[in-house]
Amino acid sequence: MTADAHLIEHMMNPKNYGKMEENDAIGMGKNPQNGEKVAIYLKVNYQDDPRIEDISFQAIGCTTTIVAGSIITSEAKGIHFSRAEELVSTTLGMLDNQTPEDAACTEMVALALKAALDTYAQKQKDPEFPMISYHINTDCTPQEALSEEA
Amino acid sequence: MKQLFAEIHEAWLATQFTGFMSKTQSRQELYEFSNILFKHLTWIENDFIKNEMTYTYDIKHVPIRVTQLSHMVNNIIQRLTAIESQLESCKDEHITFRMRSDLTYMKVALEKLPEEEVASSFNASKNYPNVELSDQEKDALTLFLFEESYKEYELIMVYNYSKANSNDAFLNRIFQILIDESFFHLRSFGQMMSEMGILGVPRSLMEEIYKFDDLEQFLKDGIQEEIGAKEECQKLAAAVSDSSEHFAAFFTFINNQENYHIALMEEALAYINNK
Repeated sequence: MTADAHLIEHMMNPKNYGKMEENDAIGMGKNPQNGEKVAIYLKVNYQDDPRIEDISFQAIGCTTTIVAGSIITSEAKGIHFSRAEELVSTTLGMLDNQTPEDAACTEMVALALKAALDTYAQKQKDPEFPMISYHINTDCTPQEALSEEA
Repeated sequence: MKQLFAEIHEAWLATQFTGFMSKTQSRQELYEFSNILFKHLTWIENDFIKNEMTYTYDIKHVPIRVTQLSHMVNNIIQRLTAIESQLESCKDEHITFRMRSDLTYMKVALEKLPEEEVASSFNASKNYPNVELSDQEKDALTLFLFEESYKEYELIMVYNYSKANSNDAFLNRIFQILIDESFFHLRSFGQMMSEMGILGVPRSLMEEIYKFDDLEQFLKDGIQEEIGAKEECQKLAAAVSDSSEHFAAFFTFINNQENYHIALMEEALAYINNK
């Protein structure tokens, strides 16, 4: 990841970072390779198409994960679920343009958002439904390490 | 008392990071006051443990972007006043008496700190004074400093939690050394971030980072992380060796310090396995 002024701003002051005690749903994205994880908390304004009234995230992960969390949660704040599903799909569709390390971090955040949306939907049918976790598919081993192994 | 605990934690970070902004003798005074606030944090934490109360290290974001040092100094004084007003939530009068005395003195001393321009700590220039770095080296150094400043804060809190919740003198000696080492690294990296205009307070910790069940696994993972940090330091030392002898020497020094941390963690691991 390069460190331009826009990204440095997210590193210095990550947006929407922290636990949300009064939430309507939590979702988790995990990297089973290294134990890194992202939790996304949603406060939802219920309508026919629910809207994300507030959103926050926490992570055990690297700076790239924090930047991805800051950007994606900023984009998700205030939008309807249908638009948030599109945001997840668009983000996952752009992973090929990134390095494996950056793609793994971005995927983890996008899947955490998807997990939170899905958890919310399930909780409408069963209020006791537990938090959903999704595992990433991207291998985050740096290319240089793979060539050394080969 | 939990709010008091969180606000002391936030005041400690605000004071420590204001110290990084200062380029005068005020830095040392702010460092001393941040040490005092960290000590207050451990007193309240021990009171929680003594009274078998659960607690976390959850805190709110600590904003520090200012143009003048006095803006942060006033903010810290307000934080200390808020802490004073909540001291009665702690029922141990010996603790609150000592804290009140410290807070009263610190507020008076803070008001006397001279004004400084500190906007350069936040201008995202990525330039380090008197050092020529390529754009790629600046990016690598920027990412390293964000990663490692968070990591050092995390380690301070993890070892502090472990120490507070253990009565084992052997392990606690090792935890205290590791806390002290992490403070030194946090201060080294924080000062560099301030020089490069990229200063920011680390994010709050997820509870499971410090409330772990398996100390042995934590130490094994910690050793691997230290090895990773050593490799990063070696890479950075190599990358900047042509452009800055000073930086190359610094990262070689940090790299060698990681060996000591690994040795301490191995010592703790051997002790646990022989128990």
